Amino acid sequence: MTLFPAVVEAHLAVLLIVVPLIAAPLCSLLRRESLAWIFAAAVSVVCLALAVAILGQVMANGPIAYEMGGWASPWGIEFRIDRLNAFVLVIVSAIAAVVMWYAHGSVRAEIGGDQQPHYYTLYLLCLTGLLGVTATGDAFNLFVFLEISSLSSYVLISLGAGRDRRALTAAFTYLVMGTIGATFYVIGIGLLYMVTGTLNMADLAVRLAPLADNTTVLAGFAFIMVGLSLKLALFPLHLWLPNAYTYAPSAVTAFLAATATKVAVYVLLRFLFTVFGTDYLFEELTLNGFLLPLAVIAMFIPSLVAIFQTNIKRMLAYSSVAQLGYMVLGLSFASITGVTATVIHLFNHAVTKGGLFMALGAVLLRTGGVSLQNMAGLGRQMPLTMAAFVVGGFSLIGVPTTVGFISKWYLILAALEDGRWPIAFLILASSLLAVIYIWRVVEVAYFQPALEGRKIEEAPLSYLIPTWLLIGASLYFGVDATYTLEVAGSAAAHLMGNGG
Amino acid sequence: MDIGLTHYLSVAAILFSLGIFGIFVNRKNVIIILMSIELMLLAVNINLVAFSTALGDMVGQVFAMFVLTVAAAEAAIGLAILVVYYRNRGSIEVEDIHLMQG
Repeated sequence: MTLFPAVVEAHLAVLLIVVPLIAAPLCSLLRRESLAWIFAAAVSVVCLALAVAILGQVMANGPIAYEMGGWASPWGIEFRIDRLNAFVLVIVSAIAAVVMWYAHGSVRAEIGGDQQPHYYTLYLLCLTGLLGVTATGDAFNLFVFLEISSLSSYVLISLGAGRDRRALTAAFTYLVMGTIGATFYVIGIGLLYMVTGTLNMADLAVRLAPLADNTTVLAGFAFIMVGLSLKLALFPLHLWLPNAYTYAPSAVTAFLAATATKVAVYVLLRFLFTVFGTDYLFEELTLNGFLLPLAVIAMFIPSLVAIFQTNIKRMLAYSSVAQLGYMVLGLSFASITGVTATVIHLFNHAVTKGGLFMALGAVLLRTGGVSLQNMAGLGRQMPLTMAAFVVGGFSLIGVPTTVGFISKWYLILAALEDGRWPIAFLILASSLLAVIYIWRVVEVAYFQPALEGRKIEEAPLSYLIPTWLLIGASLYFGVDATYTLEVAGSAAAHLMGNGG
Repeated sequence: MDIGLTHYLSVAAILFSLGIFGIFVNRKNVIIILMSIELMLLAVNINLVAFSTALGDMVGQVFAMFVLTVAAAEAAIGLAILVVYYRNRGSIEVEDIHLMQG
């Protein structure tokens, strides 16, 4: 089955990046918010169609290697898309398309009039960057795309300043931390370039293999690892994330929470397993001795902090840090089951968190705030929104029939396969913390009376439909995970096969 | 004395450490934080150019141009945020900014 004519099919990989990149400046020329929205929404749907076509092609014919401008691969920039990238591309573009639908109402409610067209420009740029990071097979090109997405997300976060001035400080902190992360990454890349003379990831992998005891490679790896950990908010380096998610406009939070950190996890997977390889990292450096404790701490401390938050958006942001801990835990096992758990959790957490933040956006629209008191009695006043929130919360906990259960199941399987039953126990224990922080909201929303004299209507359909699309997906793929598991499993097997 | 790759790398390492030091020691002035970040990115540039001459490969210098562009964009956004902040509050004395502390 082909979605596009043959000419387009041959250039899918590059079109996916070029379409939003060219659309972004065009979008800034549109002066009216609704025009810009229609244009950006059309572009994001085109991107989704392209990404789905790429996934179809990769699943049927194996990896796509696209040489930019026809320059042969170690010299020119290459886009290399295998099952793992293709899956992440579909996640990012699908979330982007759904959030774009949601953005229409949310942007008009939360962002000042003259800034609205610019929101869509930045959104498309951010999407370009994220898709580029995922598609590219060149380590330096990855840095450029990473910065395109980060720079645009700093501005997107600062757009929340119209409602709460603290968005500016949050954006500034993120800018400082994010740029330090990027600097570390590019230093690491520079060191690898010095040793190997190449930046193509496949080529790097080949040339790094005989250099196992080279200290420059080791330093390069350390810099790249720290840089990426900053970008993906791995536990001790997560400080920018809670404020950034709390003060950003709802549509931005939903988009970034579901995509930006996930793409960084993908890059980490790519570097660990494709570029450096399991033998080097996990046998020689025993990296899991370092990643495993960090991941376990990341599962617990942010969850504990989340319990004490009164701002629900901040609570969910801390929960995101904890969920990133699960993803790093999965990959630290360095087994096929473990990586499958990470990849499937990428998807699962993206749909769940996206849906949750969208539901909170609806609460913000109707009650004017997202603190715990604002939720009082909402269970009866906004039944559909709160139902979405509860289902999403169940998925964070890992209740069966939600996607969260599938991820936790695979994580526990991977832990047991590795003979680490205490880890399996810790996964269950940290889920109990999620029960506590979700239950606080449920209790206030369903068992407390509504505030006196407050009349609140259900959120408009432009909020409800996208929210339930994502929450529905988190239920659907929780019941029937065959397809996602097949993609994630084969992506993991392919990744480990390359790295070994 | 011959000036070789090591010397360039040492300069870059010193600049980089100064940048990091500037960020962690200084908690009051946000402009200095931006300057420290610039310093770190420039250290990277020196590294890249030194590697490129050592390897006899122009690619490293092309990368330095890209890094410069990124640094400029980042400084522009950082300063823009501070300008908006200044218009809102009338100062960039930021006791409540809690930089680097979440």
